[in-house]
Amino acid sequence: MKIWQCQQCGFEYDEAKGWPEEDIAPGTKWEDIPDDWSCPDCGAAKADFEMVEVG
Amino acid sequence: MKVVIVGTGVAGASAAIALRNEGHRGPITLIGSDPEDPYRRPPLSKDFLGGTMPVERTRLKPPTIWAEKEIELIKGANAESIDVGGKTIHLDSGQVLQYDQLLLATGGRPKVLKSEFMDMTHVYTLRHLRDVAPLRNELNAGSHLVVVGAGLIGSEVAATAKGLGVKVTILEAASAPIARLMPAWLGEKVASLHKDMGVKMVMNARIESFNQYEGGVRISMASGNRIDANAVLVAIGMTPNIELAANAEIEVADGIVVDAYGRTSQDSVWAAGDVANMENGFLGGRYRIEHWTNAQDHGVAVAKNILGQNAPYNPVPWCWSDQYGVSLQICGWPDASDDVGVRGDINSNSFLTFFHRKGRLVGSIAFSKPKELRAIRELIGKSPFISPELLSDPKVDLAELAKSQIEAEQFENKRNETAAIKDLVRER
Repeated sequence: MKIWQCQQCGFEYDEAKGWPEEDIAPGTKWEDIPDDWSCPDCGAAKADFEMVEVG
Repeated sequence: MKVVIVGTGVAGASAAIALRNEGHRGPITLIGSDPEDPYRRPPLSKDFLGGTMPVERTRLKPPTIWAEKEIELIKGANAESIDVGGKTIHLDSGQVLQYDQLLLATGGRPKVLKSEFMDMTHVYTLRHLRDVAPLRNELNAGSHLVVVGAGLIGSEVAATAKGLGVKVTILEAASAPIARLMPAWLGEKVASLHKDMGVKMVMNARIESFNQYEGGVRISMASGNRIDANAVLVAIGMTPNIELAANAEIEVADGIVVDAYGRTSQDSVWAAGDVANMENGFLGGRYRIEHWTNAQDHGVAVAKNILGQNAPYNPVPWCWSDQYGVSLQICGWPDASDDVGVRGDINSNSFLTFFHRKGRLVGSIAFSKPKELRAIRELIGKSPFISPELLSDPKVDLAELAKSQIEAEQFENKRNETAAIKDLVRER
C-alpha cells in the first residue's frame, strides 16, 4: 500500500485508507483511481501527485 | 554566483530547490531561525495538531534532499543585519556570509495581544512546528479551549480541538468568522458549521482582561461576561518580519516592497512569500498574500528571476481550509466585487459562489467544490469576462468551460498578434 501526496497542497492519498468521502474504497490502488479525479483539498489534478511512501 | 536565502519556510525552501532545478550550479545557502528542517505549516492546525499525522509527514521534502541538491541548510540561526554595500549578511552566531544575490523570505510572526496576557501560562500562538506539542498537551477531552480570532487558523484549531472532545469557545472581534477573506453572509455559513458541532461562537467580542488562575485563564469581556479557559489560543493574524530589511534601508511598507519580479529597492536583494508587498496586477494597488500556495509559487518565481528569466509574477491568490470534513476554498478578491452568483444549493455544505466586478470574474468561495474552484481560478487569471449565467448553470461543466474559454482567448491573442505583425510589415 502506498501514499501519494499532492505536490500543490500536501494532501495525502493513502491507498490503505482510500477516500470514502468520494466512494473510493479502502485498498484502492492509485492506478485504479479515475484520471479525472482531483485533489479533495485543492483541486489539483491526479498528475500533480507524487508517491511519498511505500508502506 | 552565490545565492543566500533567509527563511526556511516554504517560500525560501522552494526557492532554494527551484534554483538548483533551474540549473544554478553555484553555492546556495538557506538560513532560518527555525530549528527544524523545512516543514509544511498547513497541517499544524489540522491533522498534525489532531495527532493523526506523524511529524515526518509534515516535512516539506525528504531530509536527504538538502545534501543531494547541495543546498547548505543553516537552521536555528538569526540573520541580524545585512550590509548591502559589502553584500554580506551577519548571523547571531557571529558567522558572516557573502552573497551575490540575496532572497529575503522572512515570513511573519503571530500578531499578539498585550504582552502581560501573552506571558501567562496556558496562552499560546500557533505558527511553528514547536508550537504544536504544548498546545496539543492542553487539548484533553472535557477541557475548555478559548480561541481568540475566527480566521482560518483559529477556525481550524477549533475544529481539530472539537474532534478531540475539547469544549471550544471562539471569540471574534468582527461580526462573522474569516471576515478578512469572505463576506459576512458566507462567514455565517462557517459559523453554523462550528455551532452545529457544539462550538460556542461569540462574535463582536471585546476582551477586557486575562487573569491567571491555577490551571487556566479567566477572560473578562467588555460585556461583563467571564469565561474560564484551561487554554487560550491567540490567532489574530500575522505581522510581516520586515526589520532585517528595514534596518538595511530596503524599502518597506506593509512588508518588503517588491516589483513584479521580486526585486526590492536594493540591488541584488529580492523578497518572496508572506513578507513581500507586491503589486496586484489584476486590480491595481499593492498587497501581501499570506497563503501557503502563494509562498510556494512566489519563491519559485523569484528564484527563476534571480537566474535571469525575467518572468513577472502575477498570481490569483487562493487558499483552502478543512473544517469538520468540509473543504473550504477561497480565491481571488471576493471583497472587490459588485455582484455575486451561486452555483448549487447554498443551504447544503457543497456549493460554489462567484464574484464579479464590472462584468469581470474576480473571486470565488467554494464549500467542498475543489475541482470547480480550480476551474474558476483559471478563468479569473486567464479569461475573466464570462457571464454569471454560464457559471451558475448546473448543466455547464466548469472544468470544460474553463479549458475552452482559455483556449479561445489564447487563440484570439495569437490572431491579434499575427494581425499586428502583418500591419507592421505592410507599413514598411
